[in-house]
Amino acid sequence: MTRLRNAGAAAVAALAVWLATLSPATAVDAPRLAGELDAKGLVAAVAAQHGNVVVLNFWATWCVPCREEFPDLVRLEKAYRARGVSVLGVSIDLPKDMPRIEKFLSASAPDFPNYIKRAGGDDQDFIESVDPKWGGELPFTVVYGRDGKKAQVLSGKQTYASFEKAVAALLK
Amino acid sequence: MKTLRSWVALLAVAALAAPALADAPAIGSAAPAFELKSVDGKPFSLADAEKSNAYVVLMFIATQCPYSNGYNDRMRDMAAAYVKKGVLFVGINSNSTESVEETAAHAKQHGFGFPVLKDPGNKVADLYDARRTPEVYVIGKDGKLVYHGRIDDNSNDASKVTSPDLKNALDALLAGQTVSKTETKAFGCTIKRA
Repeated sequence: MTRLRNAGAAAVAALAVWLATLSPATAVDAPRLAGELDAKGLVAAVAAQHGNVVVLNFWATWCVPCREEFPDLVRLEKAYRARGVSVLGVSIDLPKDMPRIEKFLSASAPDFPNYIKRAGGDDQDFIESVDPKWGGELPFTVVYGRDGKKAQVLSGKQTYASFEKAVAALLK
Repeated sequence: MKTLRSWVALLAVAALAAPALADAPAIGSAAPAFELKSVDGKPFSLADAEKSNAYVVLMFIATQCPYSNGYNDRMRDMAAAYVKKGVLFVGINSNSTESVEETAAHAKQHGFGFPVLKDPGNKVADLYDARRTPEVYVIGKDGKLVYHGRIDDNSNDASKVTSPDLKNALDALLAGQTVSKTETKAFGCTIKRA
């Protein structure tokens, strides 16, 4: 029995040593893009969260206010996940910016899926499919109620308080 | 008389304290008048510009926005080409995060031959409900807005533009035709309001 315990302890120690040799990127899965989306795919991604309040955020790595507000979305998702809030991110970067996107996601570590807008097509069609009042400015956030209906649009950089206010109103 | 002057002053202050974001002026409505200073200190009056040019193109631009910077060469070249046809291009920087000095240096670096104005407190951006950079407005001969939106459909690569919307609008106006596409949209950087 003692021999078995010793063998178990040795195995755990060996596993710990092996894990310590791994780089952080392989020890913990780095966040990756969940895929690319066009206007139709975006509708499907939101619809898949039916029953939850959905916060759909459009960002880009070149957009400073997008990067500034992103940690608040990460925090919001953690705080409200159990109450039925889903956050979805959509990058408007170009495919050539993929290394920058992955670096940004690795640093931000969101626990929610992020997509990239499919390249090609007229951006105006994509913008108008999201919301006719959206002029294309980034960041831009759309909040959907549990019924899947659009409840609020938030133009420009938000604070944690403004994100929280938008979702709290829909959780009542 | 003194009381009357006080009331007038009070009303003027109240008018200035009106809500920052006005409704976006619609195509066909009068372009809101304004006066600003250029980054080299010269006064600019939209009313005066309208009197001395057939058309005026207002371009909300930025120094640090990659989408706006993607158009620097196109803005410079179009402004130079169209000024000969009576179209004045005007750049407006409303970003609270970009100083007069930075805006002036950016204009010089990119060879902008058109006036570049600084919009302190983003008052003109609010008048026009401009949200992003770049975002353009074309003012017709009668002082009314005739086009609002993007320069074209490809900020990343000028050689891959398939819809040169601003050029199409100006060419139509100069040919005495109506603009077929009066409102367009594109991605851009949010104007950093004060």
